[in-house]
Amino acid sequence: MELNRRDLLKKLSAGTAAAAAGGAVSVAALGGIAHAEEPAQAPAEAVGLLYDATRCIGCQSCVVACTKANGLEPDNRRDPLHQAPTDLNSRTKTIIKLYKPAKAGEEFSYVKQQCMHCVDPACVAACMFGGLKKDAKSGIVTWTGKYCVGCRYCEIACPYHVPKFRWEGFNPEIVKCELCKERLAKGQEPACTSVCPRKAVIFGPRKQLLDEAKSRIAANPGKYYQDRVFGEHEGGGTQVLYLAHVDFENLGLPALGDESVPQKYLKWQHRLYSYLIVPIGLYATLVGTISKNWKHHQEHAEIEEKNTGLRPQI
Amino acid sequence: MSKHQTIAEQLEAAGVSRRSFVQLCGMLMVSAPVGLALTSKQSVLQVAETIGKAKRPSVIWLHFQDCTGCSETLLRTSRPDVADLILNVISLDYHETLMAASGYQAEAALKQAVDENAGKFVLVVEGSIPTKDKGQYMKLAGKPAIDVLNEIGNKAAAVIAMGSCAAWGGVPSADPNPTGAQGVDSILKSKPVVNLPGCPTNPYNLLAVVLEYATMNRLPALDQYNRPKFAFDRLIHDHCPRRAHFDNGRFVKEFGDDGHREGWCLYKMGCKGPVTHAACSTRHFNETPDVWPIGIGAPCVGCTEKDIAFRVPIFQTVEIHGVTPPDAYPLVNMPIGTVGLGAAALVGAVAGGLGGAALMASKRLPESAPPAGKVENETKKSEKPQPVGD
Amino acid sequence: MKTETWERDVPVFDVPIWTRPFIALCGLGALGMLLVAYREIVGLGPASGMNDAYAWGIWKTFNTMVLTGVGSGAFAVGIAAWIFKRNNLHVVMRTALLTSLLAYLFGLAMLGVDVGRPWNFYWIAFPWHWNLHSPLLEVAVCMSVYATIPLLLENVPAGLEYAFDQWPQYQPILKKVEKFLMAGYPWIVSLAYVLPAMHQSSLGALMLLGGTRVSPLWQTPFLPLLYVWAAAFLGFACVTSTILFSGIMWNRPFDLDVLNELNRITIWLIGAWLVFRTVDLTVRGQIVAAFHADIYAVLFWMEMILLAVSVWMLRDANANQNVRKMFIGQLVVAVAGMLYRFSPTTLAFQPKPGAFYFPSAIETLISLGFIAIAVAIFIFLAKILAILPAPMRLWNAMEARKARKASAQKVPARVGRGQLVTGD
Repeated sequence: MELNRRDLLKKLSAGTAAAAAGGAVSVAALGGIAHAEEPAQAPAEAVGLLYDATRCIGCQSCVVACTKANGLEPDNRRDPLHQAPTDLNSRTKTIIKLYKPAKAGEEFSYVKQQCMHCVDPACVAACMFGGLKKDAKSGIVTWTGKYCVGCRYCEIACPYHVPKFRWEGFNPEIVKCELCKERLAKGQEPACTSVCPRKAVIFGPRKQLLDEAKSRIAANPGKYYQDRVFGEHEGGGTQVLYLAHVDFENLGLPALGDESVPQKYLKWQHRLYSYLIVPIGLYATLVGTISKNWKHHQEHAEIEEKNTGLRPQI
Repeated sequence: MSKHQTIAEQLEAAGVSRRSFVQLCGMLMVSAPVGLALTSKQSVLQVAETIGKAKRPSVIWLHFQDCTGCSETLLRTSRPDVADLILNVISLDYHETLMAASGYQAEAALKQAVDENAGKFVLVVEGSIPTKDKGQYMKLAGKPAIDVLNEIGNKAAAVIAMGSCAAWGGVPSADPNPTGAQGVDSILKSKPVVNLPGCPTNPYNLLAVVLEYATMNRLPALDQYNRPKFAFDRLIHDHCPRRAHFDNGRFVKEFGDDGHREGWCLYKMGCKGPVTHAACSTRHFNETPDVWPIGIGAPCVGCTEKDIAFRVPIFQTVEIHGVTPPDAYPLVNMPIGTVGLGAAALVGAVAGGLGGAALMASKRLPESAPPAGKVENETKKSEKPQPVGD
Repeated sequence: MKTETWERDVPVFDVPIWTRPFIALCGLGALGMLLVAYREIVGLGPASGMNDAYAWGIWKTFNTMVLTGVGSGAFAVGIAAWIFKRNNLHVVMRTALLTSLLAYLFGLAMLGVDVGRPWNFYWIAFPWHWNLHSPLLEVAVCMSVYATIPLLLENVPAGLEYAFDQWPQYQPILKKVEKFLMAGYPWIVSLAYVLPAMHQSSLGALMLLGGTRVSPLWQTPFLPLLYVWAAAFLGFACVTSTILFSGIMWNRPFDLDVLNELNRITIWLIGAWLVFRTVDLTVRGQIVAAFHADIYAVLFWMEMILLAVSVWMLRDANANQNVRKMFIGQLVVAVAGMLYRFSPTTLAFQPKPGAFYFPSAIETLISLGFIAIAVAIFIFLAKILAILPAPMRLWNAMEARKARKASAQKVPARVGRGQLVTGD
C-alpha cells in the first residue's frame, strides 16, 4: 500500500493530537492516583475503640445506649417485645453476638460488632461519588446522603459486612456506626463506651489503645488469642481494635493480610489507569489503524455504489 | 393541734424514740434516693438533723370525690409508731377522717386552721373535683368543692394533689364521667400543684415532698405533668423485679398456672408496667416487701396514668415503647435470605421456556447444506416472499 | 438450504409489526414497568430478594453486568472488522450495533432502577466529585459515555438511511449530517472500542473487592481481563444467535461464509480464553478447588465444559455447514459466557456463612420486562430499518414490493437511490 508523507503526517498528527488532548485532561483530572501505591497510615489524631471480649458480660447496655444516642428506632421487627436484631442493620449500629463453641472444651465469647473505621477503608474506595468519607483528622468514616446513590457497593466491598442499607421505603440510607461524632464534638465519649459497666469497650486515641492492648497482653501472657490485638495490621489496620480469648475468625473478624482491601485488589486498576496513559495510548493507536482501514472501506463503498446504484450502508 | 415548734422538739415531747425517727429518715432516703435535695448526698444522721431543725409544717387535708384510700395508705403500716411519727413530724391541722371533730366544730376547725396558718400551710387534696352542673355533686358544708378548693387553695403555700383522683380525676373521671370530675390543677391555676398520682400513691412520696418543702422551702424537681421526678421519672417495667422473666420470654399465660406460681412476667396478662410511670417496683407498700400489685401476682393496671387507668382494659396488653435487648444473643453468623416457592418456580419456568423455545427454533434449521452448485432449495420459492409470520 | 451471500442489510419488510410474540413482549414489558413503579414506592426490600449479605441482586449483576457483556457485539465484531480487517463482517455490523445499543441502554436503565437514591446520579457530571479509586465509578461514567455517544452515533446511519427514504424533502440536510458523521467516523469508532475495553474490564474489577469471599475458581487479579475477553465471545454469540434466530423466524437466507467466519473467531476467542483461565488457576495454585465436592466446582466445570462443547460444536458445524449446530453451539457459548460473568457476583460469592439469595418473583419479572422491551424494540426496528443482513435479491424484492404498493395507490414510489419515480 502507498503511504505518502502527507498521509503519514496526517496520521501522526491525529494520533499525537489525541494523546496530547487526553493527556492534558487526565493530568488535570487525575492528580494523586499514583499515590495509591503507598500503604495508607492512620491519621495522627486517629481515635478508635478497644473491645476486650474477655471483659464483656453481654449486658447489651451498649446496644441500648447506641440506639438512643443515634435517635434510632430499636429493631423489634423479629420480636415485638424486644430489641432483638440478628445482625447489624438499618436500625442497629452496634450489636452483641455470641460465639458458641463448636467443640467441647472451647470457650464461648461475646463479640461487639460495629464499624471498624479502617485505616484504608474498602467502602471509601468503592463509593462512586465519595458518599463515604474518612475524616482526615480523627479517621472516622462517615456517610453523607448528599453523595450517595444507593448502589450498595460499600456493602459488597466491606470485609466486615458493616454498612447496611435501609431496604424499605423511599429515600433509603446507608447506616453504620460513626463513633458518635456529635457526642465527640461536645467532648463526650461515644455512647457505647460511656455505659459499658466493665469498660470492656473503651474509647481513646488509637495509639493509646494499641499501647493499652499490648500492655494487657504483656501482663497476661497466654490469655489472649495468639497474644495479639486484632486491627493493628489486619487489612491495613483498623481503628477499632479487638482482644479476645478465642480465634478472631470465630468472632466474625476475617483473616486478612496486612494489605488493605483497596491496596491488595485495586493495585493493577490504579496502575493501568494511572494518568489515563494506557487508554489514551490505545485510543491513539486505534485512530491510526482505523483511519487507514476506513479510507479503504470508503473507497470500496464508492465502487460498490457505482456498480449497484445503491447508497452505501455504513 | 399542737403549737408549731421544731420537729425535734415535738418528737421529744411526744416521746418518740430517736431510733424510730432515724429509721424514718432512712426510709425517706430509700424512697427518694434521687431528685430530692433533702436526701441528696447526705448521710442518715445528716438528714435527721436537718429535719429535726425544721419547724413542723402545717398540713391541711381536704377530701373531695375520694375513697380515702390515700389517707389510709398514709396510715396503713405494720408498725404503729410510723403513723405516730408521721403525725408528729407534720402538724396535720385538718383531716376529716382522722380528727375527732365533726359538724359545726369541724367547719370551725377548718376556718381556724386556714386563718392561723394562712400563707404557710401545705394543702393536701385527696379526691377529684366535680365540675358539672355547677359542681353540685360534692359539697363541703354546703359549698361546692370547686369553691372550697379555690378559696382555701389560694391561701396555701403549696398544694399537693395526693392520689390519681386529685392529680387528674382518677376513678370518678372514668367514662362517661357523669360528674365532670377533674384534677386539682385543672381548677386551681394560681398555685403550683404537685401531683402525686397513684391509686393510692406511696405514702413516702407525700412525706418526701412535704419535708423537702418544710426543710428547704422548695418543691422537688417536677416533670411535665408536675409529678416529682424522684418517683415518676421511670417506668414500672424498667425497675420491675420480674424483668428478667420478661427478657427471657417467661410469661404467665393463665392465672394460677405454673408460671404464675413461679412468679413469671405478667405482661401477657395485661400488665401496664411498660407504659406506667411510678416507683412501685422499688418502693413497695405497707412497708412489707413485695406488697404491691405485681409482687402479689396481679398485673399492674397503670393507676398513675391518665390515659391508662380506668380506660384501657386491665387484661389488654400494651405496646412496648423503647424496647431493649432480651436475654438472648444472635450467633456470629445467622442465616439470611430465603427463596419463595413462586420465585423459584418462575425462574425455573423462564429457563425451561427459553431453553424449549431455542430447541424448537433450532429444529427449523437444516442440518447440512447440499453440495455447492445445486440451485434448488428446500423452501418453496414463489413470486412474493411468503410472509411466514412471527 | 443454499447459502446466499449477504450483500446488504435489509429490513424485515414482509412481516407485519403487530404479531403475537411482539404483543406478548410488549405486555411483559408493560408488566415490568408497573412493577418498577411499585418498587419505587415500596423500596428495594419488598420488591426484591436482595438482603444485606447479597446487596446486589440480579438487576445489577445480570441485566447490567452480564447483558452488557452479551451486548458487546459492537465492540467484538467491530474490532474484528475494523482492526483485523475481516471485511466480510461489515454486513453484520448493524445487527451487532443495534443489539449492543439496546443491551447497554436497558442495562443502564436497569441500573437506574436498582440504585436506592438515583436522584444523586447527577454527580456524574461533576468530575471533581468522582472517586477515582472506585471501579464502579469507572463503569458508570464509561458506560454512560459509550452508550450515549459513540455507540449511539454508530447506530445513526441506519436511521439516516430510513429518513432518507421516508422523507426525501430532508435529503440535503441528511446528506450534511451523514458527511459530518463520516468525517469523524474513525474517531467515533476508536472510542467505541477503547471505552468498552475499559468498562467491560472494570465490570470484572468490581468483584475484585469481594476478595476471598468470591470463590478462588473465579477470583484472580486477571478477572478484568477474563471479563472483557468473555464479553468478546459473548458479543459474537449474541450477534450470531440473533441473526440465526431472525433467519428462522422471518425466513431469511444464511450466508455460510460469514457465519463460518463468525464461528471461527468465536472458537479462537474461547479456546485461548479456556487455556488462559486454566493456566491462571494452576499458577495461582487454585486448580485443586475444581475437584472439591461443592457447588463451586460444579459451576466451574459447567462453564468450562459448556465452553469446550461449544467449541467442538462450532468446529463441527463449520466443517459440515450444519446451521442447526451453529445455532445451538452459539447459544451454548452465550449461556456459558453469561454463567461465567454471573458467577463471581452471586453464585460463587459467599459473603458469610448462612447467607443466601434468590431473586423474588417481582425482581425476576422486572428483569424480564426490561429484556422483553429491548427485544421488542429490536424486532420493531429490524422490521423498519435495514439492520439484518440479506442477499441482494431480498433488497430487490423489497423495492419491487414498494413499487407495487405505490402503483396500487397511484402515488409516486420512492425507490432505489431515493429518486422520485412515477408508478407506471
